[in-house]
Amino acid sequence: MRSMSPPRPLRLTLNDRPVETSCPNERILLDLLREDLNLTGTKRGCDLGTCGCCTVWIDGRATLSCLTLARSTEGHSVTTIEGVSPATGLNPVQKAFVERGATQCGFCTPGFIMTATALLRDHPHPSRSEITEAIAGNLCRCTGYTKIIEAIESAASGDR
Amino acid sequence: MHLDPFELYRPSTVEEVVRLTRDLGAACDVLAGGTDLLPNYKMHINLKPNLVALEEVEELRSYTLERVGSMTRLADLDRDTDFARAYPGVAAAVHEVATPLVRERATVGGNLLVETRCFFFNQTFPWRQSLGFCLKADGDRCHVVPQKERCYATFSGDLAPALAAVDASVELAGPDGRRTIPVLDLYDPGGDGIRRHRLRPNEIVVAVSFPAASRGLPANYQKLRIRPTFDFPELGLAAAGLVESGTVRSLAIAAGGLETYPRRFDEVTRPLVGERLNETNRNAASEAIMRSVRPVHNTFLAPDYRRRMVGVYVRRALDRLANGPPGVPG
Repeated sequence: MRSMSPPRPLRLTLNDRPVETSCPNERILLDLLREDLNLTGTKRGCDLGTCGCCTVWIDGRATLSCLTLARSTEGHSVTTIEGVSPATGLNPVQKAFVERGATQCGFCTPGFIMTATALLRDHPHPSRSEITEAIAGNLCRCTGYTKIIEAIESAASGDR
Repeated sequence: MHLDPFELYRPSTVEEVVRLTRDLGAACDVLAGGTDLLPNYKMHINLKPNLVALEEVEELRSYTLERVGSMTRLADLDRDTDFARAYPGVAAAVHEVATPLVRERATVGGNLLVETRCFFFNQTFPWRQSLGFCLKADGDRCHVVPQKERCYATFSGDLAPALAAVDASVELAGPDGRRTIPVLDLYDPGGDGIRRHRLRPNEIVVAVSFPAASRGLPANYQKLRIRPTFDFPELGLAAAGLVESGTVRSLAIAAGGLETYPRRFDEVTRPLVGERLNETNRNAASEAIMRSVRPVHNTFLAPDYRRRMVGVYVRRALDRLANGPPGVPG
């Protein structure tokens, strides 16, 4: 059995709702989300900050939950893939991924959706190079990226 | 991968940080953005039972164009067009650090003090155990240059050479108060290579400050690596200076990614000041710098290739200072 430090209280805003939970010091945000809070849409890929599968937003900024201590989110706002869809249906980036077939095995997709949704929120009409730059931290081993880039472009142009 | 248990402190002032690290002594690490320390902790490299996190220290998070707090996130600098105009070479280096996702957490101070890297060090515990541990973690010998005295892990920060090229300083705080030193004095060319810096016990980096003369100075940064979207530098070459109508008015060149510490090559660049830059003295400078560096085989690219690329990058850097727009990233 793995040893742990004693759980400490943790308060954060998660997907726009206040959450009070507790976790040990060494709890990584990714594990808090997946194992404690049952939000398994955020994926564990490399677990070392290389692949982007675990991308979430912290205070609106897309970053890596595998390299963030859960306790660092005390008082901050965390958004996961479960929190970026409207009440019903999909957001424009998600719809574009479906319609353009921008996914194969799908494991990297939540990370790409998080990065791309943040990109289009801040830059509604990015150039192709701004898109490739923005997704530089998300790895996909199936698609070759072409359809992912096309999907983000089509979500940006509203051409779906 | 789960982390082993540790005590976590989240102080809110620099003075508290210094007090805590003094009380905890060698049994603590200081945590900045975590993008370097936490992967090492996941691989069970040099674990400490206490972490002092800097993220709640307001003073470290603020920045101006003269003084950048050590906990400034690289993504914030990367988005700042005023910063890019003021220090094009440093901004180019910031932009080249890892990926946008990493830069949201990674900090200025963390990049200055990023752990040195080596094939035999940045590996999981079972990997290192099976081969036999190394000088830098848990062992007593170097596998790259076989001996038991000195570690040859490579300095892998992007910011230090770019900051050194524009004469930036670092402000430190410790038990004896504050002091300011040139960026390169953070590192110890004469050391054993295991410790990556020359901070005094319980000192932390508070800020980076820029001299007035560095504002708007033409500068560039070129980075050699396998994947241009992500990797640590196999060579990071920074140049800054003023070349007016072909005559060198000021010039500094610095490099990281080659040895255990970043370096500046003043002995090569100083004689060029006042001279007209031409192909002959440009090539001689690049040759001299190339010949003075000693990379070893502990990263992805062969040392001889990295060395030759020093020559290529120096020539390009000088051409850009002479002709090109400032700060075009490599």
